[in-house]
Amino acid sequence: MQTVPLLETRNLERRFGGLLAVKELSFSVGRGEILGIIGPNGAGKTTVINLVAGIIPPTGGQILFKGQRVDHLPAHARSHLGIARTFQNVRPLEDFTALENIMVGALFGRGQNLAQARATALEICELIDLPHYDRPVDNLTVLDLKKVEIGRALAAQPDLLFLDELMAGLNADETREMIAVVRQLQRREITIVVVEHIMAVVKELTERCIVLDGGTIIAQGSYAEVAANERVIEAYLGKEA
Amino acid sequence: MGKKAMIIVCILVAASLPLYAGPYFLSVFNTIFVYMSLSLTWDMMLRTGQLSYGTAGLFGLGAYSSALLVAKAGVHPLLSIVLGGLFAGVVAFLLGFAVLRLRKIYFSITTLALTSVFAVVIRNLPRLTGGASGMVLPSALFSGDAAKNYWMVFALALGVIGISLWLSRSKTHYAINAIRNDEIAARSSGVDVFKYLLFMFVLTSSIQGVIGAFYAQQYAFVQPEATFSMNFLLLPLAMALVGGVYSTSGPVVGAVVLGVVSEYLKLIMPYGHLVVYGLIIVLVVLFMPRGLTRFVARQLARRGRVGGADRAALGN
Amino acid sequence: MQAAGSAKRLYIYTAALIVTAIIIWFWEPTALVYGIQRGSLYAVVALPLALILGILGVLNLAHGEFLTVGLYATYTLFRNYGWDPMASAVPVSIILAVVGIGVYLLTVRQVLKAGHLSQLLITFGIALVLSELLKSIYTTQPRAVFTTYSYAFTRFAGVRFGIYEFVYLAIALGVLFGLQLFLKKTRLGQATFAVGQNPTGAAIVGINVRFVYLFVFGLSIAIVGLVSAFMVPRVSVFPGAGTPFTMKSFALTAMAGLGNLNGILLAGLALGILEAIVNAIPGGAGWSDVVVFGVLILVILSRAFRGAR
Repeated sequence: MQTVPLLETRNLERRFGGLLAVKELSFSVGRGEILGIIGPNGAGKTTVINLVAGIIPPTGGQILFKGQRVDHLPAHARSHLGIARTFQNVRPLEDFTALENIMVGALFGRGQNLAQARATALEICELIDLPHYDRPVDNLTVLDLKKVEIGRALAAQPDLLFLDELMAGLNADETREMIAVVRQLQRREITIVVVEHIMAVVKELTERCIVLDGGTIIAQGSYAEVAANERVIEAYLGKEA
Repeated sequence: MGKKAMIIVCILVAASLPLYAGPYFLSVFNTIFVYMSLSLTWDMMLRTGQLSYGTAGLFGLGAYSSALLVAKAGVHPLLSIVLGGLFAGVVAFLLGFAVLRLRKIYFSITTLALTSVFAVVIRNLPRLTGGASGMVLPSALFSGDAAKNYWMVFALALGVIGISLWLSRSKTHYAINAIRNDEIAARSSGVDVFKYLLFMFVLTSSIQGVIGAFYAQQYAFVQPEATFSMNFLLLPLAMALVGGVYSTSGPVVGAVVLGVVSEYLKLIMPYGHLVVYGLIIVLVVLFMPRGLTRFVARQLARRGRVGGADRAALGN
Repeated sequence: MQAAGSAKRLYIYTAALIVTAIIIWFWEPTALVYGIQRGSLYAVVALPLALILGILGVLNLAHGEFLTVGLYATYTLFRNYGWDPMASAVPVSIILAVVGIGVYLLTVRQVLKAGHLSQLLITFGIALVLSELLKSIYTTQPRAVFTTYSYAFTRFAGVRFGIYEFVYLAIALGVLFGLQLFLKKTRLGQATFAVGQNPTGAAIVGINVRFVYLFVFGLSIAIVGLVSAFMVPRVSVFPGAGTPFTMKSFALTAMAGLGNLNGILLAGLALGILEAIVNAIPGGAGWSDVVVFGVLILVILSRAFRGAR
């Protein structure tokens, strides 16, 4: 039975001057799954997110979302279609409170008016457990900032959500809390792609992983499979040498 | 006395000025309202994170188009003011469409060149525009009635204030702030950055065109040097900086303060008094980037003697 | 600073320019000559702006006003001490370096990390202060300096043209050559290059980034001063004399692309020749000032739609 994958890339390529950051990258994400993307530093993981989200255009290849090509669409259009992402270094909007940050996603990603957006944002704050939503963002902890980031992405009503190193900088309790939030999202039928460095998180959250190195996929499979893969081990260890 | 009451008093006082103020006073405040409107529009564009130096250019464009409509096509002066604004808006649309795709310094320096480019174009079409010596219009607005002109510019200023306030409470406010804070985050959240920037540029330029058209009709005279004068850029800019950017009250306060100060300056420093505005710009950026209103508010709040309502009134 | 691909582009553009130049020579020879002369002037004035923009990341909106200061300095040395402008070139460049460094320390340095809005505003304010100060000291009355050599002319292939202004081309080539030498062969120059590529990385390897910024700013204004001295015999000195150069310098920098110093000379020549052509067309005399604006819009459009991000 053929079902169209939610996201599919075909031979995706991104060149920066003489450097090929991403090459011959083909993978797909099915509806409702949680996919992990791992790989050593500089492997191109964030570039992949930027390409799919529309922050940078590909220099080759195609991106298909819900079966249609989106690689020529600007980022905001892709947001309307249902692609959302968080950032590795959180990017809160400084002149807003936490609630207002989330409202931005609802206003422009979902197209709501001010009243609706406020209601949506409040609901999301409940979901992700963010009680101090009226505080300006320069007053928030790292954990809360990451929640604001997720909240803003959620408010846009995405079908596909990229989480870029969400757990970085969190302690064990906070990480557990975040994992619970991500599971909540999956229950809401949001397809999630988790880009992570922390293997324990990848092992717990994801059903399937792809491993990137030097801009291409060197392995795919469950966490257990890729963790045992020789090329993967070499990629990580080799980079440490 | 609450904030609302204070504002209503100010509006009533300002509205009734022609009843008891002399012609000099009226003309000073007339000028203040012109600059106040320009300052508000400059600030509104600044809120998007783009610094436009084109205020004088669009102002002059509105002035000339309205003057030409009245002088050559017999259009009614009041209608020409509307059309002048429209024309400025169209030009801004074309320009913005080209330039707003690359922003920041490209946008700023292109708008800086606008004023001189428009002036050159006007000078080079003497048969149409009167060239370097300018053009006199058949009659002045309201036949030069000082009170009516004052009420008109006062109404315009109130209108611009209204637009600025509406903007700060609308959905657009969220878009603009998001764009200014972090364009990439904004785009990822679904904000069509280009559309909003273009909208703001066209909106603010149209208003600048309307103000310029009014100015031309009031004085019944346009001339490249006077109409495209850098004053129409420098003063609004300094006023918004001094009063406090990213707000409606800032340019309003700044316009009154600097408007009065500039009258005084013109008397004591006939040559090069604009140096004060240059110094103001430099000093404000260095020491008081959020402008006078917020600086004062913070000082008073720091003294700790201020009650909650007054603190809110002084803040924004 | 240039990858292999853009070296090829440089050759293509140079070839195109030479072909155009030959065509113009046969249509309107003086246009070519003046185009080259003006164009080199634009180029050598643009190089300092490109330096500051490339290394510090700041667009110096007061660039043209510094040029005006240099013009007035040269004029004053001439009027009060009888110094020939060409002889004051070095003293004026030193004076301007001092002025530039002073302005930098007081103002620009404070906003290096404050974002482009503050930088644009502050350099704009400085431009205003400089030009208004000059206005109050010297009034708006235009000044002039006459020297016999600046009106020397020659004949070539039956065409008569002024020869003095070729000095701009000489200075442009000299400055370009000097800058390349500096950036590649001296330690400070290599440090400067590194800072331009990656200031954080440069700081990590121990380069004194603050000093590099200071030096580049001072050097840039010094070059402006040098050129201004040579300009004085041929231009009218008034408070707004340098202002158009800010825009033109930026246009050239944008045309050449950030970091491409050689391209600026080419872009300058192209702009100079284009302006001369417009001037030579009947009825085009007043329009040459608008040319650069049109060119800038074209550059912006082409860059935006090439999707280079």
